[in-house]
Amino acid sequence: MKVSVVSRSGREVVRGGVELKDSAKVADLQDAIYAKTKKYYPARQRLTLPIQPGKSGKPVVLSAKASLSEYCEKGSGSLTVVFKDLGPQVFYSTLFFFEYLGPLLIYPMFYYLPVYKYFGYEGERVMHPVQTYAMYYWCFHYFKRIMETFFVHRFSHATSPVSNVFRNCAYYWTFGAYIAYYCNHPLYTPVSELQMKIGFGFGILCQIANFYCHILLRNLRSPSGNGGYQIPRGFLFNIVTCANYTTEIYQWLGFNIATQTVAGYIFLVVAASIMTNWALGKHRRLKKLFDGKEGRPKYPRRWVILPPFL
Amino acid sequence: MTGVGSAVRRLYLSVYNWAVFFGWAQVLYYAVTTLLESGHEAVYAAVERPLQFAQTAAFLEILHGLVGLVRSPVSATLPQIGSRLFLTWGILWSFPETHSHILVTSLVISWSITEIIRYSFFGMKETFGFAPSWLLWLRYSTFMVLYPTGISSEVGLIYIALPYMKATEKYCLRMPNKWNFSFDFSYASILSLAVYVPGSPHMFTYMLAQRKKALAKAKAA
Repeated sequence: MKVSVVSRSGREVVRGGVELKDSAKVADLQDAIYAKTKKYYPARQRLTLPIQPGKSGKPVVLSAKASLSEYCEKGSGSLTVVFKDLGPQVFYSTLFFFEYLGPLLIYPMFYYLPVYKYFGYEGERVMHPVQTYAMYYWCFHYFKRIMETFFVHRFSHATSPVSNVFRNCAYYWTFGAYIAYYCNHPLYTPVSELQMKIGFGFGILCQIANFYCHILLRNLRSPSGNGGYQIPRGFLFNIVTCANYTTEIYQWLGFNIATQTVAGYIFLVVAASIMTNWALGKHRRLKKLFDGKEGRPKYPRRWVILPPFL
Repeated sequence: MTGVGSAVRRLYLSVYNWAVFFGWAQVLYYAVTTLLESGHEAVYAAVERPLQFAQTAAFLEILHGLVGLVRSPVSATLPQIGSRLFLTWGILWSFPETHSHILVTSLVISWSITEIIRYSFFGMKETFGFAPSWLLWLRYSTFMVLYPTGISSEVGLIYIALPYMKATEKYCLRMPNKWNFSFDFSYASILSLAVYVPGSPHMFTYMLAQRKKALAKAKAA
């Protein structure tokens, strides 16, 4: 069949179009576009059907695994698709790795190196035990995240735009440095030993729970990446839609109880609000998808992210 | 019922817009007359009260956007009003050493002309339902001169105030303390100067886009 590839402004992206077998899949079309353009590899391509004149609404996005014939008019031997370049892409594992590597390296620098000399604090610095444990806790946390990135997580989208690398790294690295500065400061004031134990104990418990939540989420997705949304079940997911976010927030709460810095609490609030937005979106999608009609299971009543508030 | 709410909204916004217009008109009047009579050193003392009233009243605009009373996006009003409140209270009110500088005059005149045009424009629309075309043109043209002069004055005054911030340690919090927090106003101000670098072109291009949109719509009408 003949496929025309045009940009949103109507310009022809592939001169003369692409000739493919009638049984071809969208992935084949993407490979053909890449072969012709030498630049737009499949992950950069967003293909949609043209919006019919007079009609409104979101355009139909072509799924890579679907057959092209699914999108054709009955009996027609040709198809037009609208092409959009998503820009350079990176794997999600790459994105996550650099996000988490920054805090993992930056925090110990404030602990071990004499960086406070440049902030006007000369002389010897006496470290409190809580500062040492905080450093271990922090590094364990980000090490865990890196390991989960490579060995636990399965990603629904294969790639992310490069611009997200800079934005996400700026977020993680800046907050990492900000918190590290105060936690390791020469004039740091520790909390009581009991409060420290409660904070770190609770935090470690939540980190372990978070890890288990990630295992459960991983098992929701088959290795091949097939299958859409599913209702998460087991452990805290029976109570909360995004139990992974819940445990993430609480483990930072534990860290803050033990270390007691304003910077840490600011980070907690920002992270919690970002994750809350994600959780609300996911909760809404799951409730919409699993409405109990036409044989579909009904989504059970659950908190979104932070019982008993939300 | 919806009619009554709408009428109350229009009445409130009319009163608000003309009240703030009056505040800014005072600022401009006092600034110009004092400049002519006594020179730029005396301008701040003359305009201080109406300036503080008018600029702080602008804070309500953020609330108007948040509750949906007006359609302005908070992402546009917040940085502009935020930076002006910072200048009004954080720099001018807090550091008297800046009062006699000529940049205060350029700042105050730039702001007040911009705001007189803007608030009378809004006031006209809420009270009479329309605004004359010359006011629309002024609304979307004067920023091309007044934004550069206003922003330059803002940046200049922040820069001038920096040594006094360091000397007085005003609004500084030092460690050690129980919450392990510190804050240095001069560092925060340097950071705000850094924000002006991407922030100013963004606001200017935003206004250029608004101008193109608004004047095109007026031409079509």
